[in-house]
Amino acid sequence: MSSSPAGYHISGWRDTRQRVLRSKLVIGGLAILALFAVLSFIHPVLQATVWSSRQSVYRPETGHDPTILNPSGPTWAHPLGTDSLGRDVLSLVTYGLRPSFTVAIATALSAGVIGTVAGTSSAFFRGKYDRLLSHVSDAFVLLPPPLIFLLASKRGLLGPFELGLLYGLFFGLGPAAIVVRSRSLAVMEKPFIEAARCAGGGPRWIITHHVIPEVMPHTAVVVLAGVVGALITQGFVEFLGIAEYRYGLGTLVYNALAYGMALGTRAPWSSLLAGALSISLLASSFYMISAGLREVSDPRRGQRRI
Amino acid sequence: MVRFVLRRILWSLVTLLLVATIAFFAVNLLLPYDFAVGVGQRPGAISVIREQLGLDRPLWVRWLDYLWHLVRGDLGESFGGASVTGLVWGVLPITVAVFAVGGIVAYLLGEWFGRWVAWSRNRFLRGASSTASILAFTAFPPWLVFLLLFFASERLARLRAFFGLTAVPPRARPGDTLPVVLAAGLVAALIAGILLRAWARRRDHRILGPAALPACLALLGAILAAAGLWKQALDRLLWPSAVMATVALVIIAFGESMLVMRAGVSAEMAEDYVFTARAKGLPGRLIRDRHVARNAVLPVISRLITSVPYLISGLIIIERQLSIDGVASLFFRAIESADVPVILGILVVVGLVGLVLRIVLDAVEVVLDPRVRIEGQAV
Repeated sequence: MSSSPAGYHISGWRDTRQRVLRSKLVIGGLAILALFAVLSFIHPVLQATVWSSRQSVYRPETGHDPTILNPSGPTWAHPLGTDSLGRDVLSLVTYGLRPSFTVAIATALSAGVIGTVAGTSSAFFRGKYDRLLSHVSDAFVLLPPPLIFLLASKRGLLGPFELGLLYGLFFGLGPAAIVVRSRSLAVMEKPFIEAARCAGGGPRWIITHHVIPEVMPHTAVVVLAGVVGALITQGFVEFLGIAEYRYGLGTLVYNALAYGMALGTRAPWSSLLAGALSISLLASSFYMISAGLREVSDPRRGQRRI
Repeated sequence: MVRFVLRRILWSLVTLLLVATIAFFAVNLLLPYDFAVGVGQRPGAISVIREQLGLDRPLWVRWLDYLWHLVRGDLGESFGGASVTGLVWGVLPITVAVFAVGGIVAYLLGEWFGRWVAWSRNRFLRGASSTASILAFTAFPPWLVFLLLFFASERLARLRAFFGLTAVPPRARPGDTLPVVLAAGLVAALIAGILLRAWARRRDHRILGPAALPACLALLGAILAAAGLWKQALDRLLWPSAVMATVALVIIAFGESMLVMRAGVSAEMAEDYVFTARAKGLPGRLIRDRHVARNAVLPVISRLITSVPYLISGLIIIERQLSIDGVASLFFRAIESADVPVILGILVVVGLVGLVLRIVLDAVEVVLDPRVRIEGQAV
């Protein structure tokens, strides 16, 4: 905290950072996530530079390479091969990552904010408010957000960001709020909360400056686990083709399965693998970070790997 | 104890009403009126249909009406006119059977595998099992189903041929109760096997422990054979898409239960009582099964039960991929036609299943964990 006097800088953050970075799961997850982030950002760059001379080949949805037999395996011109319709798989993957990242960010944001606000406030104020909120959370836990996500995308009015927010709303009021509340209850028993009260801290100050920093890692654990579900569901929505936006990683899998099999050619392994593994790996990167944080933030397990 | 359970059930009813309320508003706000628009062509017809379905009333009146019906155990009528309870009952057996068998098998595999990996302290095994279970947990269901169809359907067909069965089972007749009986028997046999195994382990029965599950399944087989239903039962059991769905569900559910079990066993292994047991000269197998594993299973069960809504969603995706006539087909048909009462009914039933399992979990915790038992008496 900035209020601590110089020279007595006892920082939990540095210790935590060291422990987090020692966890192989967190590092692995961050590495995969970084790889996909680079892939996602590289799309407009490649479009403007390497691919600009053959626009018609590399346009993500309508591109087609007439010079080779499709589907094709990896070549220099198409590092991940082409799909049954002759589209470059790398351009499809890099383009399709965008809605996935949008959903991931929206889910994490709304689940994180809602879960934190609901969980910490109900642990702080206790009483009737807490009991009411706990019952609401108990109900939200029983409703599967993936099914709500499917419903909402059927209406076709919501884009990936709104869908992510919706998933996060259900996840945040359910599992996230329950986890944050139980952790916050433990924090509320600690002496420094009493001290902060004595020093004249109001509810908002105590929650934002003392409770939230303490429960932050636990919030991250549960929220990132929620993002996994959102990503898989979104992939399925794209696979079904019921969402408003046109293209995602799930569409890639669908096209590979539908056209590849229908055309009777070889199974389009390149596009199938690229689509399915991108969804799976992107989701698992969040899961790995979540699992790594869980083992780091749980003092009982200390040094152990999960 | 009885008062505790009664109070738990009473509050569960309140929770169920809350679930229904949230689902009601979510579904009605996300899919408003589309059904009437889809059915009626002329503008006049639309308003007539809305009136018939009671959609012209304000939302809160419909909400109170829905809750009032729900309290009396009635899920209402679908927009097509059929009773939602009947529709859901019709598709529930296959989904519940796949879900129960898949969930139990995933639990058993995860428990066994997690215990073994943690106990072996093998670093390579640990890394490999982490990777495998994370990939299994995050597998994209349509892709998983494709892989299963690609690699296993041929083998399954050969297995069916080996038993002298036709490649595709005959279509289920409406009045056929055998699948329901079979599913119930299978689930009962698995649960009985688990309970028997737990009992045998506590008594340190060398033979009964590992043999409990096979014995219970063999008993089920013997009963079926005695009833002369052996071949028909096998035909239903080896029903290709049901087998695939079960395997896919096991793969998705296995990863997490394995990771939780492994983490639990690893944490318990550092406890002092393990050290004491070793010093006493107890064999490793005994320490693992009688002391460590029993302390580590509770989080696995509770994690599985809390992820029931997610697993059901996963199963619905899998079922849709395999075009099984289960809850998935009803759900997607209802989404297609914006049949709000059916969607609501499915959501409420999913909530009810989760709620019932949670009460069971509470009971299991009381049985397995003495600390909870004492606290429970204090309540």
